[in-house]
Amino acid sequence: MGEVSVEALRGVSFELMEGELLVVLGPSGSGKSTLLNIIGGMDRPSGGELFFLGTPMHDADTRQLTFYRRNDVGFVFQFYNLMPNLTALENVLLSVQIARNPLSAEELLEKVGLSDRKDHFPSQLSGGEQQRVAIARAMAKNPRMLLCDEPTGALDYKTSIQVLKLLKDFCDIYSKTVVIITHNTAIARIAQRVFHLKDGRLDRIEVNENPLPPEKVTW
Amino acid sequence: MLWLKMIRDLKENKGSYIACTVIIILGVLIFTSFTTVVESLRSSQQKFYKDQNFADGFVKVRGIPRNEIKKLEDVEGIQKIQGRLVKDVTVLMPGARDNNVYLRLVSVDPDMQNPINGVLLIQGRPLDEDYMNVWIDSKFFKANKLKLNDEIQVIADGRIRKLTVTGVGDSPEFVYVLRTAADVYPSPETFGIAFIPVKSMERLFPDEKYYNEIVFTLKPGTDYEKVKEELEKRLKSYGLESIIPRSEQMSHMLLEMELESVESMSRAMPVMFLSIAGAILYITLKRLIEHQRGEIGILKAMGYTSGEILFHYMSYALTLGILGGLIGSFLGALLSYPMASMYRKFFNLPDLKGNFSPSLIFFGILLSLSFSLIAGYQGCKKVLALEPAEAMRPPAPTHSRKVFLEKIGFLWRVLTVQEKMAVRNLSRNIGRSLFIFLGIMLCFAISTFTWSMNDLVQKMMFDQYEKVEVYDVKITFSRPLHGKNVLRELAAFHGVKYVEPMAEVPVTLKNRWLKKEAVILGLTRNSYLYNILDRNYNKITLPESGIILSERLAKVLDAEVGTKLVVESPMRAGKEDGVLEVAGIIPQYLGINAYMEIGALQDFFNQKDIATSVLLKVEREAITPLRQKYMYSKYINSIEEREQRLNKFKKMMASYGSMIYIYALVGVTIGFAIIYSSFVISLSERARELSSMMVLGMTPEEVLSVVTFEQWCISVPAIMAGVPVSKAMMAGISRFISNDMFSIPENLTLKSLFLALAVTAFSVWIAQKAAARKIKGLNPSEVLKTRE
Repeated sequence: MGEVSVEALRGVSFELMEGELLVVLGPSGSGKSTLLNIIGGMDRPSGGELFFLGTPMHDADTRQLTFYRRNDVGFVFQFYNLMPNLTALENVLLSVQIARNPLSAEELLEKVGLSDRKDHFPSQLSGGEQQRVAIARAMAKNPRMLLCDEPTGALDYKTSIQVLKLLKDFCDIYSKTVVIITHNTAIARIAQRVFHLKDGRLDRIEVNENPLPPEKVTW
Repeated sequence: MLWLKMIRDLKENKGSYIACTVIIILGVLIFTSFTTVVESLRSSQQKFYKDQNFADGFVKVRGIPRNEIKKLEDVEGIQKIQGRLVKDVTVLMPGARDNNVYLRLVSVDPDMQNPINGVLLIQGRPLDEDYMNVWIDSKFFKANKLKLNDEIQVIADGRIRKLTVTGVGDSPEFVYVLRTAADVYPSPETFGIAFIPVKSMERLFPDEKYYNEIVFTLKPGTDYEKVKEELEKRLKSYGLESIIPRSEQMSHMLLEMELESVESMSRAMPVMFLSIAGAILYITLKRLIEHQRGEIGILKAMGYTSGEILFHYMSYALTLGILGGLIGSFLGALLSYPMASMYRKFFNLPDLKGNFSPSLIFFGILLSLSFSLIAGYQGCKKVLALEPAEAMRPPAPTHSRKVFLEKIGFLWRVLTVQEKMAVRNLSRNIGRSLFIFLGIMLCFAISTFTWSMNDLVQKMMFDQYEKVEVYDVKITFSRPLHGKNVLRELAAFHGVKYVEPMAEVPVTLKNRWLKKEAVILGLTRNSYLYNILDRNYNKITLPESGIILSERLAKVLDAEVGTKLVVESPMRAGKEDGVLEVAGIIPQYLGINAYMEIGALQDFFNQKDIATSVLLKVEREAITPLRQKYMYSKYINSIEEREQRLNKFKKMMASYGSMIYIYALVGVTIGFAIIYSSFVISLSERARELSSMMVLGMTPEEVLSVVTFEQWCISVPAIMAGVPVSKAMMAGISRFISNDMFSIPENLTLKSLFLALAVTAFSVWIAQKAAARKIKGLNPSEVLKTRE
């Protein structure tokens, strides 16, 4: 058996604006995660160009990518990915420690409504709580953009709305860029722009003149 | 925060990390304590030798006139040469009538400046040649609870004489005090050294006009062999018995041997221990990193650099290394004190003590750190290669294919599904299986080896005095006597049942360019009191002509049955060197001797009816009267009871036995640590798999059976592989420590194999108990809830 090369993305070209909330929509296998990984400096594209504030990132070395992730990008994942043997607060501090200009961990936990649970370990928290810790952790570095891969994929409706509200607040209050990847079309309604991905191509870009506040979204 | 994570990770897997730290501690402890003691032994030895002007050569002659010594000074290469009279005398210790207590009187010249083998006075006053006064070696002084100005009664030249103890002093010549090479261990209660002015010695032995020993030092860069040749020529007419270099002097040789063995232990053991700890650490960290793949991915996604993450995982190794190194070297320094005091019991060395050496503690930590960091780096370096996006995906599934056993259809069908799983696991995780295999093999081999050593040392000692030498009493003459007269007299003594003569002749045996000094024992053809035994304990009848060699002697001389040996001896009065044919080779573990029929020996040396000692079978009650009658005789040097000697050995073995138990304990600890940690590692690696089985409805016992079956599958072949490994270890150590005084047989004893089997099986069983506890503690829903 040889290795089969798969082109996850082709001919995708776009710009991200500062302070915008963007949703990338697409079915499984459409290349959403690959796109996110490339934007976030987790993977390198095999071809094409990527610029961050004018700096070319497509030929950046590992070290440059690491510092890009460290200073400019925050990640939120579907399965939270907290350090199982660090408490909620310690998980956030993990991120504070390496940031140049961090936000206060305690304040962020209060903002996500978990200040009374800050000394609990991930296994003692519900899924929604864990995801809120993960968002606090991502925001704590005070990054320029937050990249979220199916942040509500493992959560129920009510908890999902709470999480989306947090992301929206981060975008509005701190005027940061937030990219949310999802296959849930309902979520797209909170975004200013929506990218529709299909078979690794950017099918169309939808501009939402009047995005809905998260609490108004239903599915 | 990462430190916190590390500490919690360590706690989670404390079993294997503790095992690893304990082994590091043991390794560093041995390094620090042994090195401290070796350094102390070495430096006090060198200082002692230098300060007291220790001789380079030792000569024994029948007798050389005092004024002849001066003439030997012109032998090229000799720096200084001194003659002396050395005599063993019986001591009459109050309250110890039945014990043979001896002193070796060594004449000294109190006026000489910087004499060879000068005596270091520890307490007391200078010797006065007008009085019968002596300095006593410190061990004898202490063991017999003597005080300064005490009087000791000795039998010299057939008369009771009193010697006043005016000082306590040690000489570099008697650092390790043995009466004869066959003694192996010093016995300060029954044998010591007394230094006595030459003039006083003359009054004790009016007949001895001559010196019987010569000691000399060499100018730097002198070839000892040339000096020896020249001395041989010049001393032939004085009845030269032997010339030996410092390296063959008994006390020096034994001290060197001990030093070398401690030195090699101080190097080899820590390396072994730390390698084992390193292996455990390597496997544990490697596993941890595979296990925390996702967490590494997150850290990378968050922007932690590979270096920071690598450092985080290395910090586990760093912590264990520092902790183990610190505790180990500190305990090692502490242990050096009792160890030094143990050596003080055996060796007369001034300034021998334990030490808190900061540099050694530093080196101990460095040693432990370097091993753990190398192992840690090897285990962790995969972190560097992981791309963040890749790290967050579960690893690619390993290749699955049929294992060897599946091809043997009937066998495969017999196995239950659990057993099939176990077999597949074994072959798919070769690294893990190999680690467990090695652990069990080492545990088994180390235990077999230590127990075998113990058995064989016992055998070595007790064979000699229970199977070979079976007389009750041995009387050694101060000079060769006519056998017939002596035998007649002794046989008539009340209570003596049987008497045999024996002749001990020191010779140099030569085969081509190989030569060796040894003692030929002349025994009666069918001796009842001294058995010549082959490997299977069958009695060998001495041949009418020819010589029988001990295995070690045959090896040194590269001789076989039929080899013709040239025999040199001062006893071969006036004749050219003779030739003897090797008639047989026998095992002998204590000493190296050659054996001949006494008649053949007398003929060969042209010494009719000569005997140097007699062996007696005596009724128990007759021993004391016998001793009382003969101990004043000037023809008799010593009266020894086999029983006493055997008891002395038993006592010695009891104290040495505890050392062997410590070694055995260490061996078992290592084995257990490896087995335990490898089991625990493989268990936590498979928490998910095992949980799935429990979810399917298997009981914890059924799940455990998969793990235990797998472990026994490795254990059985590993134990079998341990047999040749321990055999190799035994052969190695036997070759390494065998010398002229004792040779250790290379075989493993059956008892040790069974004991080792029990120990290994026990370790496996305990480790499985721990596994059972872990499996009971598994919470399947918890484990399966999280993403792999």
